[in-house]
Amino acid sequence: MLLVQILVNGVLLGGLYGLMALGMALVWGVLNIVNLAHGAFIMLGGYLVFFLFTAGLDPLVSLPIAMAVLFLFGYVIQRSLLNLIVRSALLNTLLFTFGLDVVLTYLAQLLFSADFRTINPSYAGANFSVGAVTVPVGRLIAFAIAVALALLLYLLLERTRLGRAIRATAQNLDAARLYGVNPAQIYAITFGIGAALAGAAGTLYGIVAQITPYIGVTLTPKSFVIAIIGGLDNPLRIVAGGIVIGVAEAVTSLYLGPTYTDVVSFGLLVLILVLRPAQSLKIA
Amino acid sequence: MSDALLDIRGLTAGYGDVPVLTDIALTVGAGEIVALVGSNGAGKTTLLRAVSRIIKASGSLRFLGEDVLPLTPEALFARGLVQVPEGRQLFGRMTVAENLMMGAYRRRDRAGIDASLAQTFDLFPVLAERRAQTAGSLSGGEQQMCAIGRALMAAPKLLMIDEMSLGLAPIVVDRLLDVLVAIRGQGVPILMVEQDVFAALAVADRGYVLEHGRIVKAATAETLKSDPALQKAYLGSDS
Repeated sequence: MLLVQILVNGVLLGGLYGLMALGMALVWGVLNIVNLAHGAFIMLGGYLVFFLFTAGLDPLVSLPIAMAVLFLFGYVIQRSLLNLIVRSALLNTLLFTFGLDVVLTYLAQLLFSADFRTINPSYAGANFSVGAVTVPVGRLIAFAIAVALALLLYLLLERTRLGRAIRATAQNLDAARLYGVNPAQIYAITFGIGAALAGAAGTLYGIVAQITPYIGVTLTPKSFVIAIIGGLDNPLRIVAGGIVIGVAEAVTSLYLGPTYTDVVSFGLLVLILVLRPAQSLKIA
Repeated sequence: MSDALLDIRGLTAGYGDVPVLTDIALTVGAGEIVALVGSNGAGKTTLLRAVSRIIKASGSLRFLGEDVLPLTPEALFARGLVQVPEGRQLFGRMTVAENLMMGAYRRRDRAGIDASLAQTFDLFPVLAERRAQTAGSLSGGEQQMCAIGRALMAAPKLLMIDEMSLGLAPIVVDRLLDVLVAIRGQGVPILMVEQDVFAALAVADRGYVLEHGRIVKAATAETLKSDPALQKAYLGSDS
């Protein structure tokens, strides 16, 4: 029964992991930018919702606010700065986003202090039982919202004119341009959506865990691993990848101890790259 | 002032300071198929790039009576100068229908888009059959149809087709040539750039021969087809 409980916890947390990776995978797939500041974006979303919460706003109400603010933030960064180097060598965008990560992390430390913060609405600690299994309400909500946002992103990409333009730009930039797509605009919107998803992930992360200025240090690589496992072009597969990692970590911490969770998730990445390199790296 | 749709006079263009094209004169009138032929490296693609304003050029370039030399490629596209690029350049992992819709990306007239789609499926029934397949899974000929269909979805006033026949079987090229005639029949003039000289001249009204960056011959397709020098150069026979 303990194993079932652990699996439930792993799946629920994994959904949130998937949401974290979603924005990174989208930006990576379309812009070919591995955004090393993605974890810092998640952190910013968490702080924003934390402060709105202390001002009396329910985090589920602030979630769309965090998404909107982070969208604007991402849009402006891409439009004004990243677009200047988006077509240059990958190292340039890596350097830029790494620098952005450092700046955001230490700005957060200066402004918000290094204290642990938790967004703690009444339902965050609540739970209910299904048979012998306890389901934590906070994690369940996080899971449901993560899956819903992945579905929304899927529909946006597959069913709308904007989504078509985003995919077309990712697949063949020259042809997209030839038929009137403005790549600078598409890139900025895509980066904005990636940041908005990070904002949503930060909100939910703040409900199920603690926010510090440094959470990006672990969340960026975690998102990176999941993006590779899930592939870069299907939001639903990325959430599935998040669940794989969530379950693997939960089972690991049960049988091997929590210190080994990162060993297992990165080990899993190596294993998948060795066994199925073609499938997992089918990039744009 | 001629009433040609596309009117090029004294055009010089190139990369950096090296002129690839010198003193080009070429026109495309309403209801015409015009072939620009020449061997590899003659400057055909450079001319297309100059016309679509991707590279620097000087001289006179008018489209629909307007001086378009100072315009951007986007602005020219918005005026109805639409290109089918060399190598088709489809969105390989998107469906045929999605590829076609990308051609209409800049259009907002719902009814007009639907009409263009019906027209495209009419010209290429196979695209209607394969509308839900990814473009990358099509045969070479079908891909070229998809690329031409995508361009038609942009409601072109002039269609420029770069190396349509490249890598396609002669029988497929023949079918595509028939379609070009049908497209002209619907009122869309065509400038085709071709290495396959005699395929192009089979359907063209007029032709230009480009050699080393200069137009060396300009005549009706009939005249060019029976031009002994051209036959010798491109068929390698004296017949």
